[in-house]
Amino acid sequence: MSVGEIPLEAAGRATGRAADVVLVARCRRGEPEAFSRLVALHEGMVFNLAARLLGDGEEARDVAQNVFLHVYRKLGQFEGRSTLRTWIYRITVNQCHNRRRWWKRRHKDKEEPLDDLATGPNAVFLADRRPESSPYDQTRRSERARRVQRALLQLSFDHRAVVVLFEIEGQSCAAIADALGIATGTVKSRLARAREALRKRLSDVVGEDGQS
Amino acid sequence: MRCASIRRRLSAWMDGGLSPAAARAVSAHLDTCEACARRLAELRGVSELLGELPRLEAPESIAQDVLTRLEVETRGPGLGMLLRRFGAARPFIMPSLVPAALVLVTVLSAALALDSGDRTRLPGSIASWGVIPARGTESNPVFPSAGVGLPRERDGGRLDEEVLLAGFGGGTLFVETVVARDGTVSTVTVLEGDAERAGPLLDALRQQRYEPARYRGRPVAISLYRLISHTDVSLPKI
Repeated sequence: MSVGEIPLEAAGRATGRAADVVLVARCRRGEPEAFSRLVALHEGMVFNLAARLLGDGEEARDVAQNVFLHVYRKLGQFEGRSTLRTWIYRITVNQCHNRRRWWKRRHKDKEEPLDDLATGPNAVFLADRRPESSPYDQTRRSERARRVQRALLQLSFDHRAVVVLFEIEGQSCAAIADALGIATGTVKSRLARAREALRKRLSDVVGEDGQS
Repeated sequence: MRCASIRRRLSAWMDGGLSPAAARAVSAHLDTCEACARRLAELRGVSELLGELPRLEAPESIAQDVLTRLEVETRGPGLGMLLRRFGAARPFIMPSLVPAALVLVTVLSAALALDSGDRTRLPGSIASWGVIPARGTESNPVFPSAGVGLPRERDGGRLDEEVLLAGFGGGTLFVETVVARDGTVSTVTVLEGDAERAGPLLDALRQQRYEPARYRGRPVAISLYRLISHTDVSLPKI
C-alpha cells in the first residue's frame, strides 16, 4: 500500500514514526484536520523550546506560528528519515536563530540584548503552578526558575540550543545532532561546556532545597 | 587520571557516553577524590534545576492563528487565485503583491497630490508648447519637399503683374503664404520688408486660389515663400 492509500483511521492507531508518516501523508492530501492535529501535537513543544531559546513570550509565539507555516510549506520535503518531532525541532531552532539575528540587527543601537528580556515585560511565564505548593514554595520556585532561565540566556545560542534540547526536551545526543545538523561529538562537547558554564553561574542555587 | 582530565569527562560520564574502560576509570577516581565528586554533584544539580523548569505554554492556542494565516494564504486575494499553481511554491508571494501594489498606488497618489500646485513654467518648456497641430494642417503647414506635390494656381487665380507692381511699394519684400487644404490662402505673413506699403500686394496674394498641395494623395496645407524686390518682381518658379 502506498503512503497515499493509508486509511485515515490508521493515524489514530499508529505510533512513533509510522504515525508521523500517516499524519504527513494526510496533510499532503490537503486534509485540514490532519494539519490541525499536527499543530496541536507539537505546538506546546515548539512554544516551550522557542521561549527557552529566546526568553520572550511574544517572540516565541510569533516564531511558533512561523514554524508551523514553514512546516506546512515544506511538508513535501519531509522524507521521514528523522522523526517529525526532530524535523520540527530543527525548524524551530533555525527560526529562533534567524529571529535573534534579525532582532540584533534591528536593535543593535540599543544596549539591551534580547537575552535580558527574560526579566522584561514580555518575559516568558515562569511561575510554578503546581496546586499542592504553598504560596511561599511557589514564589521560591518561580524565583529559582527565573534565575535558571537568566543563566540559560547568558549562554551562547549554540550551547543553549543543545542544553535545552537535552535537559528540558529530553532528546538524545544523536537526535540533537540530527536536528541541528552537527556531529554527535560536537553535541557532547557543547553540552559539557554549557553545563560547566551553568554550574558556575548557578553555584548558589544548586544545593538549595536539598539539591545535590 | 588527573582531576582535570576526569572533570572534562564528567558530563559524558553522567550521560553514559563513555566507553566502559573510561567509565570505570572515572568511577574509580570519584570514589577517592572528594573535590571531583563534589563537582559531579554540582553538575547533577544543574541538570535537576533544568529538568524542574516548568513547561511554558502560550496563553492562547497557536493552532487557530496558524490555520487562519494558512486559510488567507491558500484562499489568497484575487491575483493569488489566478496564479495558484505558480504561487503555491511560495504562498506568501501572491498575497504580498497586493499590499505592495497598494503601497505603490498610495505613494504615487501622494506624489501627484503634492505636485499639483501652481508652479512657474519655464519659457520654452515642453509644458508651454501646448498641443502640436497635425502636420499638413493650416496651423502646421508642410514645407515644399520632394515628397509633396506643390500647389498650382487655378485659372483666374494668377497674380496680375500690374497689380503686383502697383501693390508693391518698393524695396524688398519677403513673404510667406500658406495655401490651405481647400486651395485658398489662409495666411500671408511679411517676414521681411514694409508690410504697410505692401498692403495692396498682400491683399492680392490673399485672393489667390490654388489646386491644393498633396502629400501621399491627400491635400495638405503648405507654406510658400516669395522674395520680391523693386528691380525684379517675379514669382518663384513653383
